[in-house]
Amino acid sequence: MAVADFLKSARESFWVGWKVESNWADPVLFATYRIVQPLASLLIVAFIVIIGASTGTGLQRDYLARLIVSTAFFVYVAQITTNMGWLVHTDRSRYEVLKNIYISPGTLHPYIIGRGLVSVVNATISVIVTLLFSIAVFNGILNLGIPINLLSVNLLLLVPTVLLGVSGLIAVGYMLSAINIVSNRLEFILGESLAGIFFLLGGVIFPVTALPSQVQPLSAILPITYFLDAVRDSFGLGTTGSALLDLGYLFLTTVGIGIFAYAVYRKAELRAKRLGLFDRKSEY
Amino acid sequence: MTLVSPTLRDEITANMRAAKARMWVRIKGGNRELTHYIAEVVLPVLTIGAYVILYKTLGLPPSLGAAVIIGGAMIAFWTNILWNMSAQWFWEKEMGNLEMYMVAPVSRMSVLLGMAMGGAINTSLRATGIILLGVFVFQVPFQVHDLLVAGLVFLLTVISLYGLGMVFASLYMLYGREAWHTNMLLQEPVFFLSGSYFPTIYVSVIPVWLQVTATLIPMTVGLDAIRRVTIQGQGLMAVWPHILALIAFIAILIPVARMALNYMENLGKREGRLTLRWQ
Repeated sequence: MAVADFLKSARESFWVGWKVESNWADPVLFATYRIVQPLASLLIVAFIVIIGASTGTGLQRDYLARLIVSTAFFVYVAQITTNMGWLVHTDRSRYEVLKNIYISPGTLHPYIIGRGLVSVVNATISVIVTLLFSIAVFNGILNLGIPINLLSVNLLLLVPTVLLGVSGLIAVGYMLSAINIVSNRLEFILGESLAGIFFLLGGVIFPVTALPSQVQPLSAILPITYFLDAVRDSFGLGTTGSALLDLGYLFLTTVGIGIFAYAVYRKAELRAKRLGLFDRKSEY
Repeated sequence: MTLVSPTLRDEITANMRAAKARMWVRIKGGNRELTHYIAEVVLPVLTIGAYVILYKTLGLPPSLGAAVIIGGAMIAFWTNILWNMSAQWFWEKEMGNLEMYMVAPVSRMSVLLGMAMGGAINTSLRATGIILLGVFVFQVPFQVHDLLVAGLVFLLTVISLYGLGMVFASLYMLYGREAWHTNMLLQEPVFFLSGSYFPTIYVSVIPVWLQVTATLIPMTVGLDAIRRVTIQGQGLMAVWPHILALIAFIAILIPVARMALNYMENLGKREGRLTLRWQ
C-alpha cells in the first residue's frame, strides 16, 4: 500500500512538473527550446576537434565519436542537477507551496522524485535528438565518417546503464533539494556548480587520465565517470576494457550516493523543522 | 494649487539619481554574499579547465587555452546580461516591484542604465577573478602590447553587450516562465556562435554564412578583438574594424532599446499584463 501511495504521489508530481515545464508554449516551440541547447553544446566540442584537425593534427574520428556520445548523454547530468537544484526555491519562494506539500500525507520524497523524472524525460528527448542530429551533420552533411552506428548499440548494456545513471543523478538532485531547504539563495549556484564539477572530472570531453594525477581519485568516486564509460561501451567506443566492470562500479557508486543523499535529506529535514525553514521566503 | 512642471535640468538630475540608485542596489546586492562571488569565479574556471585540457589532449597550441580563458570571462558578461538584465523586469514583476518603477517620475531607461552599470561593474570584478585564476591555474601565455587599445575594445564590447541587454530587457517585459526558457535557449547557442571556447570568425573550417551570422552578436566581434590585442599582441591597426563595428552596435542598440521599451510598456498597459504574476 505504501509503495502504491508513493508511486501515485510521484506520478501526480511528475504531471505537475510536466505542466510547469511545458505549458508556457506550444509543443513545437517547447521541443525546439529543449533541443537547441544540447545541440549547441555538442557543436562547441565537435568543432574544437574539427578545428584542431585543420591545424595539422588530423581528425581523430574515434575521439570525436566518444566525445559526441559523452556530450549527448551529459545532458542528463546538466538537466537533472540544474532543474532539481532550484526546485525547492521555486516551490518555496515563488509559488509558496512547499509547506503545503510537506504537510500532505505524500510528503516531499515522491514529490521531489516525480519532479526529477520530468527532467529525465526532457533529457531523454534531447539525447535522442542530439545523437540523430550528430549522425546527420557529421556523417551526412560533413561526411566525416564518424564511427557511430545507432543500429548496433548494445541495448542490453545501455538500458541498465541509463537506468542506474539516472537513478544516481536523481539521488544527487534529491540531495541538492535537501541542501536548498536549509540554505538561502544558493539555488542557482548548487546545480550548476555540481554540473561543472562533473563536466571537468567525469571524463566527458577528454579521458580521465588527462586530468592531473592529484584529482583523478575524485573522478574515480563519481558515478558520472562510470555512467559515461558504460554508455560509451554500449556504443562500442569503450577504452576502459570491461563494460561489466564499469556497470558494477556504476551500481556501487549509485547506491553510495543514494545512501548519502538520504542521510543528507534526513539531516536537512530535521534542521528545517527545528528552525521553521519550510516556509521561509527569500528575495534578492 | 497648481503643479510646477519640472525643468529639463530637474528631469536629467532625477534620471541620473535613479540610475545611480539602481546601480547601487545592484552592486550592493551582487556583492553582499562572498559565496556567490567565489562560485561565480570558480564555476566558470571549472568549465574553462575542461576545455583547456581538451585542447592539450588534442595537442593544440597553448594560445588557444588563453583564448578559452578570455572567452570564459566574457561568458560571465553574457550570463549576467541574460539573467540580470534581460529577465530583470520578469523578476521585478514576480516580486511586485515593477509597478513601482512604472509610477516613478523617471524614465525606465534610467533604471535600465543603472542595472547595466551595476551589472557591468559586478561582472568586471568576476571576469577579473576568472582571468587571474585561469592564468594562475593553467599557465597560459598572454601578451598585451597596447593596454589602451585593450581597454578601449573591452569597454566598447561591454557597452554594446549591455545595450543588447537593454533591448532584451524591454522585449522580455511581458514574459512569464518563457523568460527562463528563452535565457536557457540563448546561452549555449551564443557560446557556440560567439566563439567563446574556440574562434568562430576568420577560421576556414567554419562556413562563411555561419561566420557572418556570428558577427551579428556584439560578443563575437568584441571577443575576436580582445583576443587579438591580448593574446596575439596586435594593436589598433588590427582591430579598428572591430572598434567601428562595436560603435555601430552601440549606436543602433540603445535607441532600439528605448523604442522597444516604450512599445512593450504600452502593450502591457493595454493588455493589463504588467502586474501579472506566476505566468
